[in-house]
Amino acid sequence: MTYSQITLAKADGLATLTLSQPEKLNAVSRKMIAEIKSAWEDIAADGAVRAVLLTGAGRGFCAGADLADPDRDTGPNADSGAALDKFFNPVIRTMRSIPKPIVAAVNGVAAGVGMSFALASDIAIAAKSASFLQAFARIGLLPDGGSTWFLPRLVGEQRARALAMLAPQIKAEQAKEWGLIWDVVEDADLMKTATDLARRLAGGPTLSLARIKEAMNRAHGNDLGQQLDLERDFQRELGRSEDFKEGVQAFLAKRPATFKGK
Amino acid sequence: MEETPVLSALADGVLTLTLNRPQRLNAMNNALIEAMNRALARARDDAAIRAVLLTGSGRGFCAGADLAGGGTVDAAAAEPPDLGANMDRIFNPMIRAMRALPKPIVGAINGVAAGGGANFALACDIVLAARSARFDQAFVRISLLPDLGGTWFLPHLVGDARARALAMLGTSLTAEQAERMGMIWQVVEDTALMDEATTLARRLAAGPTLSYAAIKQAIDAAATNSLDRQLDLERDSQRLLGKTADSREGVAAFRAKRPAQFTGR
Repeated sequence: MTYSQITLAKADGLATLTLSQPEKLNAVSRKMIAEIKSAWEDIAADGAVRAVLLTGAGRGFCAGADLADPDRDTGPNADSGAALDKFFNPVIRTMRSIPKPIVAAVNGVAAGVGMSFALASDIAIAAKSASFLQAFARIGLLPDGGSTWFLPRLVGEQRARALAMLAPQIKAEQAKEWGLIWDVVEDADLMKTATDLARRLAGGPTLSLARIKEAMNRAHGNDLGQQLDLERDFQRELGRSEDFKEGVQAFLAKRPATFKGK
Repeated sequence: MEETPVLSALADGVLTLTLNRPQRLNAMNNALIEAMNRALARARDDAAIRAVLLTGSGRGFCAGADLAGGGTVDAAAAEPPDLGANMDRIFNPMIRAMRALPKPIVGAINGVAAGGGANFALACDIVLAARSARFDQAFVRISLLPDLGGTWFLPHLVGDARARALAMLGTSLTAEQAERMGMIWQVVEDTALMDEATTLARRLAAGPTLSYAAIKQAIDAAATNSLDRQLDLERDSQRLLGKTADSREGVAAFRAKRPAQFTGR
């Protein structure tokens, strides 16, 4: 697929997906979400990709669904569930299930489903000037893209309800303080910090990172007893990997490890 | 004279419920809980009510179960009491009704919220507290465990580590501490509490009611759903909301850059 709404670049095990409609603060049109979905399918299928960096071009990260999209059905029988089923939900499911870490570099406003994209990432870093907004209730909808699930887990029940019902705009520093995102850096440092981190993960023990991701996903539905069993199973499997052997040898020799993702 | 344990007033779509046993810091007796249950049924059934504001009269919000005379427990009885029976009959139905109400509930916590009173407060959707208010899981001091949903609300609000400590140590929190750990939404000055809470409740009462109802239901369901199931739930709810008059009005207002006029339909 050739892309006109996004860019997808790959180098040294890192795939960088950039939403690229800066004049619309990267608001998501039907055309853009089709490209985003295709890009995630490509990333999932490409064994050479070991980490992903997600960001937005220009001064916004993603302003949410494009309400001015000419492809949008505005008729009285418009089905707002259909686009979720066909595009948005598969994207969120892929982001959470691909066995590769995702770093979000939130360079500006992340609103509506754009905020969900940031929260679905494994590690979100925001520029100091970025902001977060669950805009849905302002247009009579509820948060989607998984945000009704992410929010209570990230910030607890009270803040989740207030963020969803009152739709306040939250600054990056507040988001960090609440545990909504991992870190905030100066605007000028964002891309370097996020890229360095994503490159480090791309050169890391990919199987370990994948199992960490899956274990964290499953912890939410497991009781502690089930989770202890899952940790045992994953640890058994990881203990047989090449990267584990390399990690232990490097540790004992006091040298940096060279991981291959195997 | 017969007391009115809960005062209710309806204005601008907001049903304000005021716990009204100030001489007992609004401690809960059966009459108070029964009155709350009647008020919540009214809030559910009356379409003119689009938000609820819950507060206490006097200097306390609610001191928990009334352990003294006329309360919920007869401590002087020879047989050990069955605390579960009354929970089943009226207390748990009240918490369930608060969470199931398809309209937002704002808590204006004007003073101490202790024991069951603390968890009564935490069952509200959005909690504002006066700076002088306190949250106190007092149960362990009388050899009980947090009830009225406390053992569920606490870990979902503040995480496991803090939940266990608060329940086991019975630590009393200031409103500011509660805000900082995400147990409540916001602390406001004592003198500003009722104004701010009323403004917030009125704003919600003029908002997209069906959207708030869907948010409440979705966030409750998220606690036990996998992400996968939650994405399906969001799709189904969004599909229904997308067909509402309020959603069409919201999008039209957004595009015309004017404030939306929501009707709750």
